[in-house]
Amino acid sequence: MKRKFTRKKNSKTDVISVDKELSPFVVATETTRMPMVFTDAKAACSPIIFANQAFLELTGYKVVEVLGQDFTFLLVPGDDSGALTAIRNALEGGMDLETSIWCRRKSGMDFRASIFLTPVRDEDGTVMQHFASFIDLTKLDQTEDNVRFLIQEINHRAQNALTTVLAIVGQTLRGVTDKATIATLEGRILALAKGHGLLGAAAWDEILLLDVLDEVLRPFGMQDRILLAGDEIHLPPKAILTFAMVVHELATNAVKHGALASSVTGRVEVICALESMRDEQQIRFRWQESGGMPVSPPGRKGFGSRQMQGLAQELNGTARLEYDSAGVICEIVMPVAREAT
Amino acid sequence: MNNATNDRPVGPRILIVEDEMLIAWAIEDLLTGLGYQVVGPATRVAQAIEMIDKESIDAAVVDLDLNGEKSYPVADRLVAAGVPFIFSTGYQPGNIPKDYQMFPAMQKPYASASLDHALAKLLNTRPSGY
Repeated sequence: MKRKFTRKKNSKTDVISVDKELSPFVVATETTRMPMVFTDAKAACSPIIFANQAFLELTGYKVVEVLGQDFTFLLVPGDDSGALTAIRNALEGGMDLETSIWCRRKSGMDFRASIFLTPVRDEDGTVMQHFASFIDLTKLDQTEDNVRFLIQEINHRAQNALTTVLAIVGQTLRGVTDKATIATLEGRILALAKGHGLLGAAAWDEILLLDVLDEVLRPFGMQDRILLAGDEIHLPPKAILTFAMVVHELATNAVKHGALASSVTGRVEVICALESMRDEQQIRFRWQESGGMPVSPPGRKGFGSRQMQGLAQELNGTARLEYDSAGVICEIVMPVAREAT
Repeated sequence: MNNATNDRPVGPRILIVEDEMLIAWAIEDLLTGLGYQVVGPATRVAQAIEMIDKESIDAAVVDLDLNGEKSYPVADRLVAAGVPFIFSTGYQPGNIPKDYQMFPAMQKPYASASLDHALAKLLNTRPSGY
């Protein structure tokens, strides 16, 4: 929608007259999607002398209804007197102000806006006009809510898909007598699902490694035999999921033929430490079993050990799996990724 | 868990409220494996309420979403009937409304052992005692 900018006759004050010289700046101000107004600083109450199209669209007013008004007419009456005082002070003191206020559209509908107010000075430093721009925070909030809802929905569907996969596995292998293999398969899928669940709760941001390890180890029901401790280390989703799988595998093996077997009273120490190395930091994960059955390296490379090597490779670190006579020791050392906190 | 069936020939009766049959069957298998008897599954709110009214039930595993319906009326009926229950959900348990936060909730999928612990706790804390 195009319009000319001369409204002098309709307004008591000097309206910015731009029809003679449509400079790129004026055109930009008029056509930008950022709602903005200029006010006349020399007149009492600093009335609006220019309002762009985006401002009119945001507030629902026509230009003639806006010009000459003190722009605080937009504020929801009686609400947030602190903001109103701050605006008045900024206008009178010629200061910048950034604040959020509740505004009312012509339709009566309220919205929260972030307002930025700044004085426009002439060569002598005298404040000639005030410039105010608005961001519709209510709309931003709604967008954020929508995104949050979508993430929740996607997480929900991922969990449901994994639950269904587990159910299919169970139904498909119903008559199969090798219950141990079925349990292994289900355990791995569950470990993955645990990781997904925790990451989903954190909107797939980095999460605390200890939380994941705790979640994965808890179903084994051996809190009294597993010591889990360490520093607060946050890791990105990919590393978290692999750690979940690796630790699940270590625990499963320990239950089958290691320190957590029912025939022994062994223990496992799981430590995640953040270590400073000159100017860099590294993460040291250590799984150490003791008091278990004597262990010996398996004949072939198992899923867990392959996962562990894969994890170390993914994270640019090193992994070591030792079959010590006292019990299995697994150590993963990796540098802290730059973007990681 | 493996011998539970022999130890408890007549295990507690657990109502399954779950709209997805594959998942309902999986829960059924978990429960029978743990030595429980299964009531249901109920796939809709009305059906679940009917079962609560007619059947003898010791505890329930209740999915939060039943084909687009929320299962809170089922929870209310269980509370009224004095039957303890666990919410079972694909969502984060933190998303459950405040009024229902006090009930135990498990995020699907869960291990047999987790379900076992949760149900044992539920049945032991039941006022009438099992």
